[in-house]
Amino acid sequence: MTVARLGHPNLGLGVGLRTVHFPYILEHWPAVDWFEIISENFMDSAGRPAYVLDQIVERYAIVMHGVSLSIGSSDPLDLDYLARLKRLAQRTGARWVSDHLCWTGVAGKNTHDLLPMPYTEASLRHVAQRVRIVQDYLERPLILENPSSYLTFAESTLCEWEFLDRLVERTGCGLLLDVNNVYVSGFNHDFDPADFLAGVPAGHVVQFHLAGHTNCGTHLIDTHDGQVIDPVWQLYRRAHELTGGVSTLLEWDAKIPPFPVLHAEVLKAREFIETGKLPVVDEAVTSEAADSDSAAISNPVSFILPDVS
Amino acid sequence: MDDLERTQRWMQSVITHYGGVRDGLASADARQLREVSAGNLEQIITRSKTLSAEARLGIYAGAYYARLLECLRSEFPALLEALGGALFDQFSFGYLQKYPSHSYTLGRLGAEFPRYLAETSPPGGDADASTPLFLVDLARLEWAVNEAFDAPGPERRPLLNAADLRAIPPERWPDATLSTVECLRLLELDYAVGEYYSALRRKQAARPPSREKTWLAVCRRDYVVRRHALSRTQFTILSSLAAGGAIGDAVSRAAADCQDDLDDLSSQLAQWFQRWAAAGFFRQVTLPA
Repeated sequence: MTVARLGHPNLGLGVGLRTVHFPYILEHWPAVDWFEIISENFMDSAGRPAYVLDQIVERYAIVMHGVSLSIGSSDPLDLDYLARLKRLAQRTGARWVSDHLCWTGVAGKNTHDLLPMPYTEASLRHVAQRVRIVQDYLERPLILENPSSYLTFAESTLCEWEFLDRLVERTGCGLLLDVNNVYVSGFNHDFDPADFLAGVPAGHVVQFHLAGHTNCGTHLIDTHDGQVIDPVWQLYRRAHELTGGVSTLLEWDAKIPPFPVLHAEVLKAREFIETGKLPVVDEAVTSEAADSDSAAISNPVSFILPDVS
Repeated sequence: MDDLERTQRWMQSVITHYGGVRDGLASADARQLREVSAGNLEQIITRSKTLSAEARLGIYAGAYYARLLECLRSEFPALLEALGGALFDQFSFGYLQKYPSHSYTLGRLGAEFPRYLAETSPPGGDADASTPLFLVDLARLEWAVNEAFDAPGPERRPLLNAADLRAIPPERWPDATLSTVECLRLLELDYAVGEYYSALRRKQAARPPSREKTWLAVCRRDYVVRRHALSRTQFTILSSLAAGGAIGDAVSRAAADCQDDLDDLSSQLAQWFQRWAAAGFFRQVTLPA
């Protein structure tokens, strides 16, 4: 029998660490339970980002979340990247290391997007073998997130949650269940999000993600630019029931609000779990996004920019 | 090549094609991997209740350039201000086709942008190419600032100071080497873009820079990137030191290259080195055994 959350603690309610909030955090040391960092933003840092991170590590639990592992790519694994990932995990005392079930590029290129996998037995074997290599190298279970996706492949013989379930069975990896992504992909691929939640192995879910998205009418885009909407909170409650509760993190990467607003948004999770009540946030359809595919950027990037005198 | 690799290479070639999905599907690169058109795309990509296979692929195609253009805009704010959004994006679009990212980090996305600008001329550029040349220098300066921001710097480790310099016996100076901090960047520019850059960062109107050789050091101290104007002689000395040369060799080379009087030069050296040490340029001094 699997130990809940692979033995990881429930860290409570955290937020993604973004540079725009550095000054606020350093001044106020807010009572947030934990921070998630984008691994690639810090693995090469030797300047102020690293300096700030070192101070934050002393006071908060840290989890690392990557966007470039490209676990599903047919390119060889990048061993230099893995070495940097491991060094950062050691330096920060990261509670766990996560990335996405996706590929980001092939033939040596990186699109910096989280591209969808064909869910076939062959790709399952391919990903499982690579997960085992990564886990051996990192000396810890890899935690993989279900990305938002906008297309599916005709050759797929498994649905996404079946693929994840079998991947967990073969590798013992953990899952970062992004509840918003379940909702977004469910809309885009015409499946019931409840089926997804019921299909993933709850004991391997180590973390939840919550975020806002953009409704383009014909499809949803995972933009991380606003409040969590009511149907996603409802899914979150169901996921909470299935898992018994795991570390929950709010992502907000575009139109980023002041830190207290961000923090208040994730604190709604506690209120919602305890009372089942929330101010309802309806989903608005964004007409500009519906008119243009490029108006809303999926999986928005977060990168660090310099302060210059 | 197995099916997964074929599918991934095909999808990447389609969604990164400069002409969009329809042209991407028709491109030779895509067709040698998967012989499909928009009409029979559903052999590979399923449609949803609301979107065709082509439209679904288009979401990724649209996001690819939008995401990376946004990143380049953030990495080159002064260049963006100088060019305006439309022209900046036009250059960026061409750049991403010629120099697609091969790195796990977006922090290196713009590394070859100055080179790309040097290799190309803007649409409607004037005959003597003065516009592109000062933009190249502006981009080089912005990228140097980006690199200096997050490279290993002088903070949180012992730094060479004026007292350390004074402790070097005069007769040992020629053989001593001064290793420079990793975040030091030295620029030799054809245009005086320093003030222009400052004005653009403040979003103030600025006249295009004059064509005039200038030399700059870009370095970080206390986590803030600063620019330091240099003379050609100072630039030559610092470049030699950064390359690992001994102080004596660096000064001799500067005197020869810049046709400076060696005695005049020597009289200024102590002041220069102390200023540079205070700016955090040096990590340590090494005296040969």
